[in-house]
Amino acid sequence: MFTGQRIRALLYYLSVSTFIIGLPLILTFALGLKFNQKTFKLTPTGLISIRTQPEGASIYLDGKLLNDKTPATLHELIPGTYNLRLELEGRFIWLGQAQVFPRQVTLLGKIILFPLRPHIKQISKENLGAFWMDEERKTIYFILDGQSSIFRSDLEGLRPEKIAQFIPISPRPIKWKFSNDRQKILYFNQRQIGATLFNAQNPSADDSFVIDYHLGRINDVFWHSDNYHIIVVSNKNIAVLEASPASQVIELVALNSAESGAYYEPGQDTLYFNDWQRAEDGNTYNNLYRLDLNPKASIFQELKKLRANGKTQ
Amino acid sequence: MGKRSNSARFFEILPGATSWGIIILLILLAVFNPVACAICIIVFDFYWIIRSLYLTTLLVMAYHKLSQQKNKDWLNQCQGLNKDWRKFYHLVIFPVYQEGLAILKPSLQALADTNYPKENTIVVVAFEERNPQAKENSRILEENFKKLFRGYLSTFHPDGLPGEARTKGANATWAAKAAKEFILKEKIPLEDVIASCFDADTCVEKEYFGCLTYHFMTTADPHQASYQPMPVYNNNIWYAPSFARLVELSSSFCQLIESMRLEKFVTFSSHSMSFKTLVDIDYWPVDMVSDDSVVYWKAFLHYQGKYRVIPLYITVSMDVAYGDNFIKTISMQYKQKRRWAWGVENFPFLVNGFLKGSEIPFIVKIKRAYHLFEGHITWAVWAVIIILIAPLPVLFGGKIFQQMSIGYNFPHITGMLLNFSIVASLIWAALSWSILPARPKDVPWYKNIILVAEWVIVPFIIIIIGSTPAIDAQTRLMLAKYMEFYPTEKHRRGIISKNIDK
Repeated sequence: MFTGQRIRALLYYLSVSTFIIGLPLILTFALGLKFNQKTFKLTPTGLISIRTQPEGASIYLDGKLLNDKTPATLHELIPGTYNLRLELEGRFIWLGQAQVFPRQVTLLGKIILFPLRPHIKQISKENLGAFWMDEERKTIYFILDGQSSIFRSDLEGLRPEKIAQFIPISPRPIKWKFSNDRQKILYFNQRQIGATLFNAQNPSADDSFVIDYHLGRINDVFWHSDNYHIIVVSNKNIAVLEASPASQVIELVALNSAESGAYYEPGQDTLYFNDWQRAEDGNTYNNLYRLDLNPKASIFQELKKLRANGKTQ
Repeated sequence: MGKRSNSARFFEILPGATSWGIIILLILLAVFNPVACAICIIVFDFYWIIRSLYLTTLLVMAYHKLSQQKNKDWLNQCQGLNKDWRKFYHLVIFPVYQEGLAILKPSLQALADTNYPKENTIVVVAFEERNPQAKENSRILEENFKKLFRGYLSTFHPDGLPGEARTKGANATWAAKAAKEFILKEKIPLEDVIASCFDADTCVEKEYFGCLTYHFMTTADPHQASYQPMPVYNNNIWYAPSFARLVELSSSFCQLIESMRLEKFVTFSSHSMSFKTLVDIDYWPVDMVSDDSVVYWKAFLHYQGKYRVIPLYITVSMDVAYGDNFIKTISMQYKQKRRWAWGVENFPFLVNGFLKGSEIPFIVKIKRAYHLFEGHITWAVWAVIIILIAPLPVLFGGKIFQQMSIGYNFPHITGMLLNFSIVASLIWAALSWSILPARPKDVPWYKNIILVAEWVIVPFIIIIIGSTPAIDAQTRLMLAKYMEFYPTEKHRRGIISKNIDK
């Protein structure tokens, strides 16, 4: 028992000593303090935390190679500016400066080391005319130069299949837009709107049509969520028409601005656009509007001014 | 419970107020000065890790001793002392509340199976009169066991005696007084009687009384010492759910650790002592719940500090407390630990004993009071600090704190420090496996694997019953909501029996 108690006493004093010696070391480290052996004073230091993508880059601090590789935290740095150089084989070198403040951490967490030889893979095998991505369905749509067929493939360009035939318009379309159900695509230039139905089994120009738009110069076109109506924003008006060859064009809003910006929110079937109006005081004011196109609304179209200036209505 | 004096109330309030003060202070610091809070937590974590490693080393040492003395022929050792060991009588008191025969019979059978002469053994089964089953149970037990021992008494403690609370100590005291009458009638000198007060589910080993007698004979001033066996919960451990098993294993380990810290060692649960001393100190307290430890402090004060606890590296086996389902098990374990934590009532008892004037050296008073106080405060705050308060500086400190060196280093340092506790956990897991009794035949082999793997749920256990029972107990004492005895169910191989909760 005596021996056991002696060993225990020894362990006890060892534990107490470890605590007494270890605690100041841990606390000074935690607080970012460094003991200066010359002055016998504690000097405030800072630290740099480096994260890179990919990891494993060599770190040069003021030209000196450190043992650490990224991700790394450089401790006990005297406050000041440091030159950093990060090197990883096959990647562009990252050069930068980091300002270190006392008892603070400088975070360098968004460093990407780009590859010297970017990884490029040719996906299409023929002469490409245009392409569109559908990220949700991980699909690429493309047309080949000089052809009036639309093809569909996966993101690797594999298994391409012809899904539609469209009627070309001139000049070339400004934009191509999928319907929300991904069953149709429309395309337009400033005077014409074309649309075609996807039919992978039997792609045919019979599923396509082109409408000439006479009410203005087309700025943008949107699909309604019913995938049947098309909303047209031109330099003179906002109109709606059906996606059919003999569609009637209905002018919903007359615009003063020839270059109205427009954004369509398909979830709510709401069109946001800006336009100017002249107020009673003779001044013109540019406002943001919201046009409700949800068929469930009591009135199909409801125009609301979003940014009031008190002068116009 | 009589009316407390102001000083008694002060020392009742002090532990709870200190624990709550520490917790509230740290939370306020986390909100208003996260750096200061982080420093406090780092200091505490570091202290806790060193303490854990130190205590785990003590556990290994104690376990080594237990293994060394496991199969010792203690009675033979007694014979080798060239003293008359046969003059010593063993008085064994089993305070019973609602325990049924399924619990009591194995305990008494274990007594009958010991190798100490039965003509030197006196057994008292101390029933509570308010238990309607008491008479019938006593009759059946007497039929089975009365003839086996020198003396066998069944006592029935009346309810509501003046000055008493419904505690185990009151029942044990009633039984001890009856035993004294029997012993005097038998003309046995009181100083030759060694009393053991066992929980009703306590099963002793064959060599227990030989070991106890040997230590009694070889200890200087044997009447000024209590003798503490190592409690294990092996009776039903293979059948208990992981949660309950781990808690009880941890309790056994804590007791093993305490056995190495003699200057702090206090009686716990089933224990033994000189019957003469027990009579001299007027038996167990009759109005306090933690009678097992208070009886030590009574003797400590009576002998002016010259009283100690001698560890016996022999096990006594008890039941793991668990319920029919998980929630009930947690509830039972929580209540059991809260009752153990109610041992905080020892602090005002001891300090008031010191203040009443004693010849105990001042430094000893300070040390013993501090050990008691520190132990209970640490119990109440450690899990709260490590699990609940540690994330607060980062939470309340926001970006400013995170951009500071300490804010950046804080999670790394605390994480690294706490990783050391995994080392301790692994050692505890290994020891837990080796301390188990042989696997019963009806228990599948893979339970061996579960028994080691289940230690991964320790953090979950810590959250539930790490500190909260101690905070609960201290708060009750602080608010003068005094606890009383209550029973908890215990299971043994599918049999449910009401049992006192320790």
